[in-house]
Amino acid sequence: MQSLHRLRTYTLVASVATAVSAGFLGTSAMAEDLRIGTQLKLMTLDPHYADLNENNSLLSHIYERLVIQDRQLNPQPGLAISWKRLSETQWEFKLRDGVRFHDGSPFTAQDVIYSIERIRDFLKPPSGGFQTYTQAIKSVTAPDPMTVVIETSSDVPTLPLSMTSIFIMGHKSGDFATTQDVNSGKQSVGTGPYKFQSWQSGEVLSLMRNDAYWGSAPAWSEVAFQVIESPAARVAALTTGDVDLADYIPSRDVEGLERRGLAIESTSAARSNFLQFDIAREKPPGITDKAGNAVKNPFRDERVRQALTMATDRPFLAEKILLGYGTPAAQLFPTGLSGTSPNLTVAPPDYGGAKALLTEAGFPDGFKVVLAGPAGRYPGDSESLQSIAQNWARIGVSAQPVVAPFSVFATQRSDGAYPVWYGGCSGEAVTFCLRAVLGSPDAKSGAGSLNYGKYQNQTFDAMLEKAMSMEDGPDRSAAIAGATELAMADYPMLPLYHFHLIVGHGQKVGSYAVHPRGWTTAMQAVPSEE
Amino acid sequence: MVTTIVGRLSQAALLLLVMSVIGFVGIHSVGNPVYNIVNIETATAADIRNATIALGLDQPLWRQYLLFMGNVVTGNFGTSYIYHLPAFDLVMSKLPATLELASMAMLIAAPCGTLLGLLAGRRQGCAIDRAILKASVFALSIPSFWLSMVLILVGAITLGWFPSGGRGPTVSLVGQEWSFLTLEGLRRLTLPALALAIPNIALIARLARAGTIEVESQDFVRFCRAKGLSARRILFRHTLPNISIPIVTIVGMQFGGMLAFAVVVETIFAWPGIGKLLIDSIQLLDRPVVMATLTFVSLAFVGLNALVDLLYAVLDPRVRLST
Amino acid sequence: MKANTLRALWKRHRGMSISLPGFLLAAYVLLALAAPLIAPQNPYDPLQIYGWEASSPPGTMGGPGYFYLLGTDGLGRDILSTILYGLRISLVVSITSTVVAALIGLTAGVSAAYFGRWVDVVIMRIVDLQLSLPTILVALIAIVTLGPGIDRIILAIIIVQWATYARVIRGVALSETGKPYLDAARLLRLPTRRVLFRHLLPNSIAPAITLIPIELGHAVALEATLSFLGLGVPVDKPSLGSTVANGFQYLMTGQYWISLFPGLALFGLIASINFVGEGVRRSLDPRSRSV
Repeated sequence: MQSLHRLRTYTLVASVATAVSAGFLGTSAMAEDLRIGTQLKLMTLDPHYADLNENNSLLSHIYERLVIQDRQLNPQPGLAISWKRLSETQWEFKLRDGVRFHDGSPFTAQDVIYSIERIRDFLKPPSGGFQTYTQAIKSVTAPDPMTVVIETSSDVPTLPLSMTSIFIMGHKSGDFATTQDVNSGKQSVGTGPYKFQSWQSGEVLSLMRNDAYWGSAPAWSEVAFQVIESPAARVAALTTGDVDLADYIPSRDVEGLERRGLAIESTSAARSNFLQFDIAREKPPGITDKAGNAVKNPFRDERVRQALTMATDRPFLAEKILLGYGTPAAQLFPTGLSGTSPNLTVAPPDYGGAKALLTEAGFPDGFKVVLAGPAGRYPGDSESLQSIAQNWARIGVSAQPVVAPFSVFATQRSDGAYPVWYGGCSGEAVTFCLRAVLGSPDAKSGAGSLNYGKYQNQTFDAMLEKAMSMEDGPDRSAAIAGATELAMADYPMLPLYHFHLIVGHGQKVGSYAVHPRGWTTAMQAVPSEE
Repeated sequence: MVTTIVGRLSQAALLLLVMSVIGFVGIHSVGNPVYNIVNIETATAADIRNATIALGLDQPLWRQYLLFMGNVVTGNFGTSYIYHLPAFDLVMSKLPATLELASMAMLIAAPCGTLLGLLAGRRQGCAIDRAILKASVFALSIPSFWLSMVLILVGAITLGWFPSGGRGPTVSLVGQEWSFLTLEGLRRLTLPALALAIPNIALIARLARAGTIEVESQDFVRFCRAKGLSARRILFRHTLPNISIPIVTIVGMQFGGMLAFAVVVETIFAWPGIGKLLIDSIQLLDRPVVMATLTFVSLAFVGLNALVDLLYAVLDPRVRLST
Repeated sequence: MKANTLRALWKRHRGMSISLPGFLLAAYVLLALAAPLIAPQNPYDPLQIYGWEASSPPGTMGGPGYFYLLGTDGLGRDILSTILYGLRISLVVSITSTVVAALIGLTAGVSAAYFGRWVDVVIMRIVDLQLSLPTILVALIAIVTLGPGIDRIILAIIIVQWATYARVIRGVALSETGKPYLDAARLLRLPTRRVLFRHLLPNSIAPAITLIPIELGHAVALEATLSFLGLGVPVDKPSLGSTVANGFQYLMTGQYWISLFPGLALFGLIASINFVGEGVRRSLDPRSRSV
């Protein structure tokens, strides 16, 4: 008994000792490893499960798509080297030769078929997600191992764009892999520049270089993504050198990081954040006069919306709340991008004019209103609301900022609990946001999916529809801008700012190209030459 | 003995039942978790409806609850809405982080607190006693979140000795991942462990002081002293064992409390433990994980208290005799 | 017959010189009461805040005639004013919740002891249930279920705290119920309410009195913690706890003043309450008084 006990103690000590030495080995840093602190929480290893930035960004190390989107958001060859339209409903993709999966098996048309069918027929994820891209696909066939023909049930001119969202997974004989299987990590086999090593949910994703990668050799031998959701903690980790690179840096921390010798890169994001008004209802909740009596919905009056726009100090939001890492917004994408209008500009606040308009609209004493928004979902969200409340107080509108965790806010918003609220939109093109935010809500076509205020303008709908059917080029761009100008003249919503995506990195990284879609990958980081 | 065990078990069961109803209804009334699952900036109303149906959230609440309870009986808390992993496994995977944090904090707090308490108790009324007493009140008055921030401000930002957050590299031991076995892991453990330990040092010191005063006034200590035993020998061989019961009790209870109170410390130090999981899941409305975490923490708390009672009996022969 | 504990307590206390913590606590209360008169700025009035002066370090002279003694936060609120107004919220929340929790707890405890049987079983079962969970957990569940807002925080703290009073007072009251004066009161056929509140309660209240300052300190800390976790007060009416939480975001930027000063004020408040509580406990506990 005694000896058994001693034996057990010995084993324990021995295992601790090996563990300790293993630990020390683990901390000795290798020259080519990259540690990234990211806000993006990888939720699942299944690349077909949920279409979220978080997943797509991190899983794009392991898996690749047929078509990729460059920084200007144009389609470029990925696993497909070329594609062409055979007929109205048929597309042919020529596949790249000599590509191998991480397990050594070659990439063929069967894998494409497998991946598309897995999304379309097999997976039933709660988020729906990727099925949007496959629902129009009638069949996928392989005339030869290196060619795929996709047949759609209707005319889908944007099919190559849909393919920029679908990751190709190595096919297996037999059944489709379940999400559980994929989550276990055993089947995380793609063609990407990095191989899957390990994943601890919500904490660390470890990757290693794919030496057999078909493209230019990946720069880093090992990549570890550490999920650090709190911005302050991410900044701290970068400061202390725990990570070599950190994304979504709050603008308030930029100065301190630069002082400590860290490099900052940023780019304007293809998106906007804005206030939306309830324009439909006669008496939405949350609006009263100063004495607390119910009033008719002031936001139905265009002059009130204009007055509030005039009284909102957008330059302040960009310069003081976002500390310069944001651009005041007058439309849905930053001015200058395709489809934006140069005529829409942000004026400094005009409180006198706003007050006069408000009086004209029949609200000389202003009103009280609940100004709702999510807390910490977007840079500067809760601070902006408080700052806007300060602005509006100058023209007699007393706004009460109410912030909540995002899901709580979103539930309340779709339940119609708010009269005016903070929202955001991003997408692969400005037309997506125009249609979602300003288009008349239509459940069937999916238009107006973010138009919670129920703004309706048939002329705008028609103009946008027409513009979107045009061939890509300056004419199309001008037509989209024209539609935007028409809608914005109604003040249907109040664009606030386009925030910038900020990434900080240490000495190890020479340069980093921030992607306007907000992806963080090791491929964007170039090692410094020492 | 059997009746007390049965009583305790039934009480724990009742506790869990009541809590599950409140927690379930509470999370449900707050909002729809679907908004965290779909990409809200691109999802259509149909996507949101489908997701709601897929999670079974379109069902009446009572049916959802019955379904949930039915699964719980078989040990299945459901799948996390966010991580798509079995909720209870997720909680268990965060357990080592919390456990090592709480253990480290107790390893600091118990000896420090006991020593300070013995010291104060021996010198009752002296300057050192008064200083320890005063300091203990101060230590118990610091809000834990502010203490954590001050520790970061001093230890990480100003002095730069310790990292300000996050868990270090882990090493596998007994099938679990632990970070205290690496130097870096220990360095990261220091500040959060201190933040948890400081109020407990104060608590234990006060208890040990009171115990020491009581024991030292008893006859057997006087007898020892008359026998000519050294002060140190009396302190460690006679006083200490006699004050160990309340200390063990408080250590056990506080350890259970730490599992829950680590919520604040773990949030600030970005420590990936159970407390942080609970707060995150509450914010994300990840109901299966919230329910699994609540159940686990309550069970651990109740279980630890029972364990403390048991230890109590082992340590104090009088208790054993009386039962 | 009515051994008036309160009066005895008062007598004992009058003899004591006013301690430093007592003085500090009184100062806190006065400052909170006088906040609108002495604060340089009303941080809850958007018209008085100048956003362009956000994140000013301590000792900055502001444009509109403000002197930011302790600096401003990220939205331009004067930290000193925020502390003074936040103090009001902290005190209102903690005092209201402690008083109500004490009243509910005392009533429940006395009732449980006096009526016994099923009343006792039901009340004490709830108490046991609640006390078998960590307070922060109960508070979290309560606030999640109730929703955010100052009134909800008060309610959550009451829910957390009443059980402690109930358990303590039941124990004392149970030992009182056997005493002759209660039998006498019952024999006189005094109304139950009178027996309960005029006889049983005053005679068993002493231990609960020592509990009040401790629980008051807990309430302040609990409100601050809930606010810190973002489950508490509205964003435009920051309490001490939520001000510290705001400052946490700025910790790495070197803007220490946003979290440091409100934290110090909070710490001082809780410490002075605890020291006063310690004094009260000592003056009521003959054993430690003789020391």
